[in-house]
Amino acid sequence: MAEPLIRMDGVHVAYNGDIMVLQGIDLDISRGQVTGIIGPNGAGKSTVLKTIFGLLQVKSGSLSLNGRDISRLKAHERALEGIAFVPQNRATFADLSVEDNLLLGCWPFRRDKARIARALESVYARFPILKEKRRDMARSMSGGQQRFVEIARALIVEPDVILLDEPTAMIAPKISKEIYALIRQLADDGATVVLVDQNVRQCVNVSDRLYVLELGRNKAQGSRDDFASDTQLRDLVAEWVNYKIDH
Amino acid sequence: MTADLLLQGLINGLILGLIYSLIGLSLNIIFGVLRVVNFAHGEFIILGAYAAYFLQRLLGLSPFLAMPVIFVMFALIGWALYFVLVKRLARSDDPETASLLVMFGLSITLGALMLFFFEADARSLDYMLEPPFLMFGNIVIPTTRLVALAITLVITGITAWFLYRTFPGKALRAVIMNRSAVATVGIDVEKLSAMTFGIGLGFAGVTGVLLAMIFPAFSPFAGADYTLIGFIIIVLGGLGHPIGALVGGLLFGVTEQVTVVLADNSVALLVGFALMIAVIFFRPSGLFGRQQLR
Repeated sequence: MAEPLIRMDGVHVAYNGDIMVLQGIDLDISRGQVTGIIGPNGAGKSTVLKTIFGLLQVKSGSLSLNGRDISRLKAHERALEGIAFVPQNRATFADLSVEDNLLLGCWPFRRDKARIARALESVYARFPILKEKRRDMARSMSGGQQRFVEIARALIVEPDVILLDEPTAMIAPKISKEIYALIRQLADDGATVVLVDQNVRQCVNVSDRLYVLELGRNKAQGSRDDFASDTQLRDLVAEWVNYKIDH
Repeated sequence: MTADLLLQGLINGLILGLIYSLIGLSLNIIFGVLRVVNFAHGEFIILGAYAAYFLQRLLGLSPFLAMPVIFVMFALIGWALYFVLVKRLARSDDPETASLLVMFGLSITLGALMLFFFEADARSLDYMLEPPFLMFGNIVIPTTRLVALAITLVITGITAWFLYRTFPGKALRAVIMNRSAVATVGIDVEKLSAMTFGIGLGFAGVTGVLLAMIFPAFSPFAGADYTLIGFIIIVLGGLGHPIGALVGGLLFGVTEQVTVVLADNSVALLVGFALMIAVIFFRPSGLFGRQQLR
């Protein structure tokens, strides 16, 4: 079996030094696939993405990209290594134009004007609305359009892996549908995507492989087919609801 | 005659206001990027004036040639100071309060050190421009002020070009707008922060030379006044907003100088404060500030 692009092995992560939020997570992210991470609130899904991107430090365990340990690299160094992250919170720069927002994504190769021009053309081809609104301030755009800016900015560096944290949260259903289609398209084009999503059904539909987390630990994992039956999904959601009531 | 006085005050105000805006601009980008309240900014301005004084006395360097030297010197000091002190403040849970206290301490320390090394006597830069004054009807403008205005315009133009046209400048503005998002585009926020503090102190040094050219004398404890003016300007313009600093500086400069010619020198700062309070009352986030800025 091929070496996974990203491997987390027994990863522990703590907030403020001692509040343990990930307690020995194991995760293999395969190339060219969408890997979905689902689970109830507080399961540690977003923490996994922040840890892979370097916004949170690994306390113990190992984290590797292409077989190389990256646990000591800072976030901007991981971005240079080919990891892109679209956080759940708004990540556009409100008083910069759409094009300037995208240009900042070109920071790693900012002195290469020809590459910047090519990168812009490439994202404009995928997101025509951004080309149309490239001179507009980001703040003047709708929430969904700003999400496109964030995703386009992450894609502009042609990353090895793109981490998406709740990309459709607070987004209109029509745009959400486009985002899920885009995620599937990216993987079909060979990109590697890690998706954290509260919308379990959509996440299962779009992912090739899924991990279920609970209280910072692995609970289940499997392919989309393993998760595809409605009975299993219902059981899963029912269990989370009980979990919320019990706790 | 009153119209002439008013025009004189207006012109003086525009010239001084633009120079003051450099104080506000440097304080503002430091605050915007680092959330650090540099209460020692005025002392660095006075240190800039002393640096020009000693470069002239010891090396015979004119204040004009001293400016780029002082900018580089102070930028390097700022870069180093960031890693020694400011980085820890910026990382604290409450950087505003922590930096306010520490920088206030640094301000007192720098004032005391200047007093110890340079003594309390007021110093002046030794240079003369010909002709010393230019007359436009009843309006008198010292040549020094016009030259200082030209230099300030050049500095403001370069700064605007840097902030709005270059990658590092846009990144710096991006940090002000959304600090947490900047790391996601692969920018080394720490390096950018060090650069910002360096640029901020570089500006402070150059502003010190400009002010020493305009006002006849400077002494170790004049820094507090400039810090105060800087804070009035950024409250007027809006915390963390570069254009706000420019407008705030002009507004304060014109108000101050018009008050000087129409009323009294001692009332000028009072009117400046009244203007600040009025802006806080009607627009708490400043003229260009946004409510989401903490």
